[in-house]
Amino acid sequence: MTEIKHTLEGGALTILPEGHIDSANAAEAEEAITALRERYSPESVTIDCEKLTYISSAGLRVILRLKKAIPDTKLVNVSAEVYEIFEMTGFTEMMEIRKAYRVISVEGCEVIGQGANGKVYRIDPDTIVKVYLNPDALPEIHRERELARAAFVLGVPTAIPYDVVRIEGGGYGSVFELLNASSFAKLLIRGEKTVDEIAEMSISLLKLIHSTVVKPDTMPDMRAVALDWARFLEKYLPADQYAKLYSLIAAVPEDDHMMHGDYHLKNVMLQNGESLLIDMDTLCHGHPIFELASMYNAYVGYAELNHGQVMDFLGISYETAGELWRKSLSLYLGTGDEARIAEVEKKAMIVGYTRIMRRTIRRNGLNTEEGRAIIENCRRHFNELLPQIDALTF
Amino acid sequence: MTINTTKNGTELCLAPEGRLDTVTAPELEQAINENLEGVTELTLDFAGLDYISSAGLRVLLSAQKKMNAAGKMTVRNVNETISEIFEVTGFCDILTIE
Repeated sequence: MTEIKHTLEGGALTILPEGHIDSANAAEAEEAITALRERYSPESVTIDCEKLTYISSAGLRVILRLKKAIPDTKLVNVSAEVYEIFEMTGFTEMMEIRKAYRVISVEGCEVIGQGANGKVYRIDPDTIVKVYLNPDALPEIHRERELARAAFVLGVPTAIPYDVVRIEGGGYGSVFELLNASSFAKLLIRGEKTVDEIAEMSISLLKLIHSTVVKPDTMPDMRAVALDWARFLEKYLPADQYAKLYSLIAAVPEDDHMMHGDYHLKNVMLQNGESLLIDMDTLCHGHPIFELASMYNAYVGYAELNHGQVMDFLGISYETAGELWRKSLSLYLGTGDEARIAEVEKKAMIVGYTRIMRRTIRRNGLNTEEGRAIIENCRRHFNELLPQIDALTF
Repeated sequence: MTINTTKNGTELCLAPEGRLDTVTAPELEQAINENLEGVTELTLDFAGLDYISSAGLRVLLSAQKKMNAAGKMTVRNVNETISEIFEVTGFCDILTIE
């Protein structure tokens, strides 16, 4: 019996068939697969089809029986031709079958952006590719693309998320529509829009996002995330404060409306008078207090002790960012009533400082002077705010 | 952009030509909105359409939402490029494509 190429990692068996699987060799292939199953008792089987060029009905039946014996069986790296066979026969609806990534070259392409994770290239007049240098970024690329896709079909204005591709010479990339747009940050810095105009445009898009209902299992639940932040602080806060903080967050009702999760000037673009959202990896669902908390942090909270941070991050002064935050909050609440605005701001601050304190401690903040000052500032805010607030909803 | 418009009682057919992008999408949106009164069957004929951007897709999405309430919408004569865009974006599950 010919042995079939394979690898084993933990309980995960990967099989690498080559060439044709048809009536002439299907029985032999099945025997080889059965031998591997008996030898390793795998929990899951991945059939890597990179070198599979054809499969007949006899081959399909082998896969069907394997899937029955080991329900966690999937096919990856399937060529376009072989994928068509799986699609026509309905296999693609029955089990996970992933097409091979398209391979593209970015050699000679214009670099139009550079971030912490990689570069953005323009590959033709209508599309860009976001290339991630870390090969382990693949799950993250897929996650972001799925979120963007879910938002896109719900009508949230954003760039079209196309496919995930392999980059010649290494790495993976995500292909998006090219937007001919400027970020709100740039428009404000260049003086093309005023703080009032930016606040108005960004809140009107935010309201559209917040009015969009999502299927809860397609995006993370923000309240669960915030509860994790609070739990992390149990060791670092007085017991009564921790109990109050935790119960405040736990009492926020479930909410299946979409949130962006990282909504600030750099993540909104203007194209032909229309506001578009970018960077969809933080999309989630939940009560708007969580969004307001993240906006408070971006404009005020993170830079509270070091005002230069907001200039480094958004390119605007701490004063301008603060003005933008207050205008945005007033527009979001649809009121100029200072007392009402201050009340909701306090609620946003409670969630915001929960996040900042956790983040600072996790980044070794207890062992640096700067970190200790931030943590002390969070405690000061909790001391002041927690006794005043009885619910985070507004 | 040229949009050939045929209205026949409750049936409306729009055939945009060229590229449906951020510049031309508002024109199609306007053509739909101006003619939609009383329409129960909306057909978009894409035989002359070469490309569609996200702005164009959003116009389709909003037309589809309106027609869900008012009757039905069909997209026909879609070329391969656009068909691929419908597929990767998941629009093929939302639209009726002939």
